[in-house]
Amino acid sequence: MSSHDEPTDVPPLTEEMAPGTATDPPVGGEAATVTVDGERVQVPAGSTLLDALEATGADEEVPALCHYGREGIGPRSECRTCMVETDAHGVVPSCSFPAEDGMTVNTAADAAETARSVNLDLVLSDHNLRCTTCGKNGRCELQDAAIDERVEEPRYGVLDDRDAYEPLDNTSEFIQIDRNKCILCNRCVEACNDVQVEGVLRVEGHGADTRIGFQSDAETMEDSTCVSCGHCATVCPTGSLIEKGIEDATTLPMPGFTHKNSVGTSVESSGEQENPMTQMKRREDGDTATDGGTDGSTDGSPFDDEETWPPDDRTDDTGGERP
Amino acid sequence: MTDGLLSAETAVRVSGTDPGEELLAAARGAASVPVERVGPTGATALDPLVLATDDGRTALYAGATAERAESVAAGLGGGSFPGDPDAAVDHGPGPTRLPAAGTGPLAVGVRRVLGGAGWVVPDSPADHETAGGFGADDADQAALLDAARSVPGRGWGDGATDDPVADLWETVRGAAGDAAVVVNAHGTPADRLLLASVPFVVLEGALAAARVVDASEAVVYCSAADAATAETVTAAAAAYPDPAVPLRVETGPDEYRAAEPTMALEALEGNHRLEARLRPPGPAAVGLDGRPTAVHTPRTLAQVVAALDGAPTRLVTVDGDVAAPATVELRTGATLADAVEAVDPEGTVKAACVGGEFGGLTADLDVPLSVEGLTGADLGTEGVVELLAEGRCSVAFAGERARFAEEENCGRCVPCREGTQQLTALLRELYEGRYRADALHELMGVMSSSSICAFGVDAPRPVRTAMAEFEREFEAHAAGRCPAGACDGLEMEAHT
Ligand code: SF4
Repeated sequence: MSSHDEPTDVPPLTEEMAPGTATDPPVGGEAATVTVDGERVQVPAGSTLLDALEATGADEEVPALCHYGREGIGPRSECRTCMVETDAHGVVPSCSFPAEDGMTVNTAADAAETARSVNLDLVLSDHNLRCTTCGKNGRCELQDAAIDERVEEPRYGVLDDRDAYEPLDNTSEFIQIDRNKCILCNRCVEACNDVQVEGVLRVEGHGADTRIGFQSDAETMEDSTCVSCGHCATVCPTGSLIEKGIEDATTLPMPGFTHKNSVGTSVESSGEQENPMTQMKRREDGDTATDGGTDGSTDGSPFDDEETWPPDDRTDDTGGERP
Repeated sequence: MTDGLLSAETAVRVSGTDPGEELLAAARGAASVPVERVGPTGATALDPLVLATDDGRTALYAGATAERAESVAAGLGGGSFPGDPDAAVDHGPGPTRLPAAGTGPLAVGVRRVLGGAGWVVPDSPADHETAGGFGADDADQAALLDAARSVPGRGWGDGATDDPVADLWETVRGAAGDAAVVVNAHGTPADRLLLASVPFVVLEGALAAARVVDASEAVVYCSAADAATAETVTAAAAAYPDPAVPLRVETGPDEYRAAEPTMALEALEGNHRLEARLRPPGPAAVGLDGRPTAVHTPRTLAQVVAALDGAPTRLVTVDGDVAAPATVELRTGATLADAVEAVDPEGTVKAACVGGEFGGLTADLDVPLSVEGLTGADLGTEGVVELLAEGRCSVAFAGERARFAEEENCGRCVPCREGTQQLTALLRELYEGRYRADALHELMGVMSSSSICAFGVDAPRPVRTAMAEFEREFEAHAAGRCPAGACDGLEMEAHT
């Protein structure tokens, strides 16, 4: 047996996970007594304010859309639809704010209600709201939240510009991805990396281009290193990640209208996939067919490609400077 | 320690952000006296600046060419200054800080923490010692905490923005685990100036912080775009005599958001994608690699050192519609107007955006440069003042900043990621004849109250303050008219 470290072609047994997300500090404080909407409640160490809200039933008042609260997933605290007012710290996100002894929480404060409502509408503003052709219709956490909060007309509209849609990733035999329905709650990335330890999914990009992608730099689910465990689809709050076979399960029967053609474009399997269970499959050069002819993502911004302000293509004045 | 430049009675100094090798070589080739590269002074209008010292006097040659530097260096020592200096100052023997010129940008304000900028050799510990430096190394912890109590953290990259530094140090000290100090030099011109010109002042502050919080190392974090600065501070760190803890210098991506304290930590930990971390707890309790971490800007640390023997000052960079930007140091009580003295505005000043990228707009320059004065006027404390000349449009300015926020945010939280898109869209509506002030205020309020980090909290400020200060311009745009004429050529639709 050699005592040296021989150079070898064998890849390392574990590759480092690169989910693209920040290393958050542990949330949760010491055991505490908190007053929620006038009701005193004791919570054990490690509790957040949302835990205290759950103890009194006040969690009914907050959508806490991105919150999962099981299996060590989250809090991601990205949607900010769980904002509550506290005496000590003003408006805070209950899902990730430590319950501190003596804290007083008011869920009905104007500032907190407005924050929850505006943030829920902001989530909807970037969501493909074609519920009638969605496989998650009727069991979608975003739909539930919008109904519970009696959203009738979201302030900022919904993502219904089909030109702005990212093509559906229909390449995998097991899981379909519709990023137009993604609220970036990060549950799937945590399920994939922290629970299943597969290291397939990641968050990539920034600003309006932030999206769920693949750590192997693959463009499609089929070309990724996915092992088809399905955990990501299980935790997905919306119809963004959905198991194949049920993608049209709850679709209202409308002749000729399916989830796929409601999005307009999709990327289909290259047909070259050999074994969906193969791990560490890297990007291949297989062609990907598209139904609609778009070549990739758009960020949905109304000012794509514009360099100047005012945002108006009728001029090439460099905005802000004297004419 | 070998003799530094400060002990030379006759010398030529070459100062500037990047005076160029050619100029330095020309001066060196011609001179029989020491010729040294010193750091920039902050007054970029004078760059490159050649300073010739002889017989208790120093002559300043602004905007020097290689030829001029050569003739100055060749002629020095003859009793009078060669050529035609822009200014000459009598200072007697051995000044340890840049001799104050009577006029020009160098005459504005005071030069305490900037005293050595443009005068000492940046990475020379001998110069720093001759100039009275390294005092903080001998200060006891009580004195350091006292000094830190009088200094509010400077800049959005600081872990204690606008709050007493001592409070943060006490949090770090009280948190479990092996502590660290991070010097966050990413982003602001004054921070770069300190590291490029007087790095020992900053390192002294970092080591003082390390002693108080019982840290095991201090890490300087620069933008990858600032290679020269990183080099200077690396040389200074290597030359630091007996540092209390090891010093190292790292760089992060050249992105605006990379200066946010938790994104700085993410970059230092090697994450390929930068997004902000949740808080609380903040980095003071759980920071670099999970350790309690004091994150401070160079400005903050330099001011703690300065506060050991005197009142802290403020560094302010004036930029925008000016002939050349300038960084000046001002005493407490000075106003924006005092800072603006250091520059040559291009035309009449219409307004200033105070507080960096997401600062606030004001037409009134009579605002005190203090935390209370600035925040009271809804302006930012970042230490960057951008002048807007007459003819600039406040709506266009606000729109540009909203779009910058839309493009540069980390993408993590909804109020910022989605809110900046809607903010831009609402401003765009002005050009279609709709001004929905209430909708704008509602959105901006929620962005500020519920975003994870200061990026999203501050991003609405340019729009909010422009609406307050220039409301008539907003209304005019919705009526199809740009009063400044800057949006001319656009078809604007009036209310119907
Ligand atoms: S406020 Fe903006 S920059 Fe900060 S975490 Fe949220 S999205 Fe990222």
